[in-house]
Amino acid sequence: MINDKESQKIVDIIQNFARKHSLWVLAYGTGCGAIEIPPTMTSRYDAERLGVRGAATPRQADVLLITGYLTTKTLKRVIRVYEQMQDPKYVIGFGSCTINGGMYFDSYNTIKALDRYLPVDVYINGCMPRPEAVLKGFAKLQELIQAGKADGSKKYKENLEWYRANQKEVIPVWRMPEFNW
Amino acid sequence: MEELKKNIVNKITGHFADAAVKAYDGNRVDFTVKKETIPAILFYLKDEMGYNHLSHISCVDWIEEKEFELIFILWSYTDHIKVFVHTRIDRENPVMDNIDMIWRQANTYEREIKEMYGIHFEGLEAPEEFLLEDWQDMPPMRRDFDTEAYARKTFWDRREARADAQDVRETITKRTGEELPDVAKKYTR
Amino acid sequence: MREKATTLYLGPQHPGITGNMMVRLKVEGDTVVKAVTEVGYLHRAFEKLAEQRNWLQTFTLMCRFCVPEPDPVEESYARAVETLEGREVPERAKYIRVLVLELARLGSYMLWYGGQAGSLGLYTIGQWSVGDRNYILDLFEELTGGRVYHMYIWPGGVRRDLPAGFEEKVLKTMDYMEQRLKDYEDLMFDNAIFRKRTQGVGIIEPEKAIEHGVVGPPLRGCGIKHDVRIDEPYEVYDKLDFEVPTEDGCDIWARANVRRREMHQSIRIIRQVIDQMPKGEFYNKIPNPQKWRLPQGDAYERTEAIRGEVGMYVASDGTEKPRRVHFRGAAYVHAVTLLEHVLVGENIADVSAIMNSLGTCPPEIER
Repeated sequence: MINDKESQKIVDIIQNFARKHSLWVLAYGTGCGAIEIPPTMTSRYDAERLGVRGAATPRQADVLLITGYLTTKTLKRVIRVYEQMQDPKYVIGFGSCTINGGMYFDSYNTIKALDRYLPVDVYINGCMPRPEAVLKGFAKLQELIQAGKADGSKKYKENLEWYRANQKEVIPVWRMPEFNW
Repeated sequence: MEELKKNIVNKITGHFADAAVKAYDGNRVDFTVKKETIPAILFYLKDEMGYNHLSHISCVDWIEEKEFELIFILWSYTDHIKVFVHTRIDRENPVMDNIDMIWRQANTYEREIKEMYGIHFEGLEAPEEFLLEDWQDMPPMRRDFDTEAYARKTFWDRREARADAQDVRETITKRTGEELPDVAKKYTR
Repeated sequence: MREKATTLYLGPQHPGITGNMMVRLKVEGDTVVKAVTEVGYLHRAFEKLAEQRNWLQTFTLMCRFCVPEPDPVEESYARAVETLEGREVPERAKYIRVLVLELARLGSYMLWYGGQAGSLGLYTIGQWSVGDRNYILDLFEELTGGRVYHMYIWPGGVRRDLPAGFEEKVLKTMDYMEQRLKDYEDLMFDNAIFRKRTQGVGIIEPEKAIEHGVVGPPLRGCGIKHDVRIDEPYEVYDKLDFEVPTEDGCDIWARANVRRREMHQSIRIIRQVIDQMPKGEFYNKIPNPQKWRLPQGDAYERTEAIRGEVGMYVASDGTEKPRRVHFRGAAYVHAVTLLEHVLVGENIADVSAIMNSLGTCPPEIER
């Protein structure tokens, strides 16, 4: 019955609806953007009404929020964390420095474009983005999920060699399992 | 305040022959000493003079003079005077005495200076890496390390995409009928 | 039988860690026998970038040094540059600076309330205090245009004058805060769990404190009364009437109490500043920043942040760009050698609470 195309469509709609309303964010503050996460989660902005809440470990999380610049040292950990996360999983790039390096354009220790190394579903710009902007970002992600367009993890699997080559370009000593999800 | 400053200057110059003094307005006194004297003068300032708070250790690369300058900033909780102890070491062979037995926290500063400038502290017991991981270039805080060139070489960056804004600029010029200002031309690749 | 020691990695991805850093613990049972801090996850080379930019462009980097409380860093930098150049600051700007610094202190203590309580499982306090912190951030937004990064205290004064009616808004917020602080205190300090988990935990011996360079509330929690605001008064702190609270416990409980009492002092200072603020100029204009050269020399200025003393060392070679900008964070000494010392003999479950009570702030360590 599931093989039937029409029924699959309905299953997808229900599945996506369920997914978009329970986005568990991995509690990993990778950069300075982590400071706007507590206000977003607490009483005034209350992200939990959108189904957004924190998760302690990668295996329970759905969303990896990259809160700002990534140094090469953190990038290594973030890749490890991302690969441990279970499907469906989404990445949100938070802040201008994930988009093009921002004010760190000439820093020797931070990466300049996040989507070379991880598939990004939604970018939130600003330095620092306000909680409203964060909520808008989550709303956009929900929209994409409902439409079935948030397929970053699928892209990552399909283009793994390309991503891996880029990652190895900036991480000189790899010392990690090649594929670990 | 002036008397306290005079007192410390007299005591230090009496004890350490190589100490050159510069006193500033306010609560600041500077000493410049040879690098061999550093542990002795810091010990003396801490134990005899009561300068028991190590506020800061900094390093400046004077590449033109082929020297590194190390600055130790001490603070006395009783006298309320800041003492700067400067020393210069050779840039080609940067070796320095370790002082983390005087103040434990100096360990952290020395680890950082070692990593960022490549200054070797004799007898420093600490893990090799502090802020950087698997760094293969020269110590990055040295003046001859070009961070922008390194960033361009290592990281793919998106600045070429600025040409995207060309159509916006052209629309604006068309609408206003003005020539594109030079500043805008400079940023349009 | 003696148990075998296990290595436990606390961080970098761990809900209990304060920011992006790691503590490698060697544990026997659940007692820590050795702790090694590993930092560098946030190193973005600000000090190198400062050497590439001119003196005013460097100022925009300063607030990013420490994210929870950026203003003391700006203040240190601004004052270091002013000392180097010999630039006078108008009287009104000094008062505005103190106002901003104390508001920032209050705001980051609110965040600390959330962190300290959250590390012991008391999440309600965090919901309240982080929610109420937004009222202070609203004030900042009206004053400076930014919630988190203000870039407001700059060399020569402050960036703009107080908007019309701002004083009343501040006073109104202070009244509200004073009321709310009582609620937090009832909830946190009358709580048996908090009392049990913090008294006698994370002890810093007073004789070790000076040797380790402890500053700020952890030092005052050891009964040693040192505060940059009274030791080396900057701006107008010598004209204001406030107390510096101390406690004798040397443990997390004492440090929490110091912070609790300091919040009331902050409110007191803010009321005085609003009361005494003179009229007049707020900015002593700097020349064209592209051609702004500072005389040769160096300067070091310190400011009291919530974590303790933060300082800025600047050295100039007489050109438009700084020769060296070096930041001394309080967490820089607290989170590496001191933390490694304090954690030995503690319980694994208390590690996070101890880190919060020492005011660990990784971006400040790594810069």
